Amino acid sequence: MSTAAAVEAHPQLDEVDHRIIALLREDGRMPFRAIARELGVTETTVRARVRRLEDSNTMRVVAVTDIEAAGYNMLLAVGVQVENRTPESVARDMAEIPEVFSVNVVVGTHDIEALVVAEDQGALHTLLSERLAGLPGVRRLTPSLAVDVLKNQADWVPL
Amino acid sequence: MSRRQLDGLDRDIVQWLSRDARISNRQIAAELGVTEGTVRARIKRMEEQRQIRITAVTNIDRFRDASLAYIWIEVERTHQVRAVARELAAIPELGFVGEMLGRSDLLAITMVRNNEHLAEFVHSRIGTIEGVRRTESTLGVNFVKHDYRMARIVK
Repeated sequence: MSTAAAVEAHPQLDEVDHRIIALLREDGRMPFRAIARELGVTETTVRARVRRLEDSNTMRVVAVTDIEAAGYNMLLAVGVQVENRTPESVARDMAEIPEVFSVNVVVGTHDIEALVVAEDQGALHTLLSERLAGLPGVRRLTPSLAVDVLKNQADWVPL
Repeated sequence: MSRRQLDGLDRDIVQWLSRDARISNRQIAAELGVTEGTVRARIKRMEEQRQIRITAVTNIDRFRDASLAYIWIEVERTHQVRAVARELAAIPELGFVGEMLGRSDLLAITMVRNNEHLAEFVHSRIGTIEGVRRTESTLGVNFVKHDYRMARIVK
């Protein structure tokens, strides 16, 4: 997305905000002092700006853990068909399960699309055939295994 | 898959960083009863080995009220999967690209403004890639959960 469009979408952000965000995307642990030096503003300004960006839900600085380093060796996309219940309520139940890290109600062949992780085949089987298939309203699960993930940006979701 | 798994202390440190990654090494060290040097060395190693990535998550580049779209892609010939996947990964608008087994050959995920935008994006940016046979797109209507603290760290 062009900078012009980004500015239009967030008119309250100025050049300093955008540059702080850019630096923290590169290195989320960059000291306030170093950011201030880089941008030619005071450390107090940087602190205040970061706090405002966080408080307004515009930005959050987080540690993203690699799913494999976290012990999960399998990543799957799971399509869910729902019956006798609203997709939203089934999706909310699914969202309670930590291994289900993304849940989206959709229109199409399936009612819900989810991304799930599992430690190994045994754990995957339990997750799919017991924990997910056992949820009220779940009619059919259509899983698809990711054999290689070429791209997975941490910051592609709405906050 | 062969990435080294995090041990107990790593996980404890990451837990603190997951809440607020701007926390100081000194504070984490005090909370966990280890030295500041240990915390610093652990974070450095985890970042270097791409076990974690500390970054700003933001929605400034996204359209307001955007929807998530899943785009399933089938290729002409199976040997073309890799090449198509690489081309997809180079498209900035795509947040996720994976080679899949099962429902289709590839899955790409993006954010779009509406159905029209999705159709236009698929038609002009994905349908034109050599080797793409057909695509099936699903538009999200309600985004219930996404745990951005978990991802496959590629680069």
